[in-house]
Amino acid sequence: MVQKFSLTVDSQLEHLSEIADFVELAARESGLDDNKIYEVQMAVDEACANVIEHAYHGRKDGTIDIGCERRGKEFVVTIQDFGERFDPKKVARPRTRDPLSKRNIGGLGLFFMHKMMDKVHFEFSPGSGNRLTMIKKIK
Amino acid sequence: MAQKEITVLTPQGRLDAAGARPLEAELKQYMAAGKIHLLIDLAGTRYISSNGLRALLAAQKQAKERGGALKLCCLSPRLVEIFEMSGFDRVFEIFDKREQAEESFE
Repeated sequence: MVQKFSLTVDSQLEHLSEIADFVELAARESGLDDNKIYEVQMAVDEACANVIEHAYHGRKDGTIDIGCERRGKEFVVTIQDFGERFDPKKVARPRTRDPLSKRNIGGLGLFFMHKMMDKVHFEFSPGSGNRLTMIKKIK
Repeated sequence: MAQKEITVLTPQGRLDAAGARPLEAELKQYMAAGKIHLLIDLAGTRYISSNGLRALLAAQKQAKERGGALKLCCLSPRLVEIFEMSGFDRVFEIFDKREQAEESFE
């Protein structure tokens, strides 16, 4: 039996810890170990903070739909919002080896999402907003 | 030479985008009050996101500009991993123990 988990929250930063708890539960039920749970939690946290900040520009009444499920040996997370288009190509990659004076302050959230997950894929359609799919290999 | 006055902050729980805001505000207040030798004891911090890192980085820059410093101590292994992954371990002076960090200001 495939178990699907879903959570819908308003676009408020205060919900990030609730989202982390939800991801922990879903990932644990799906058989991920503590390390992988932590990594998925971080990727989802960064993704949802991005949605609130960039897709909804801090608006508190936007909707974020989060879905988690295990498909075979993969744990799949989808994050759907209905805000402004997010184009990952427009986000500068952080230069992690630069000295303090030159450190670029943006792009770090996306950097962590890619580091923590095996696949990160953004889609946008004018009718249904941004849909982010992130995949973590379980074994 | 007079001993430097060190201000120690101990953020608790999650330094995510929500948790970073009060820390940022607190750091700004200290800086405005001339408290530029800051030690952040992260023993009670179980998670830090890019927003938390950014808050620390911004405060570090301000402290340095004013002749002070912002140092960190007592990171959990997970936090160490995040700092290393992002290269922030080379941006901050990080100590295992609070005592060592405090002594380093002298």
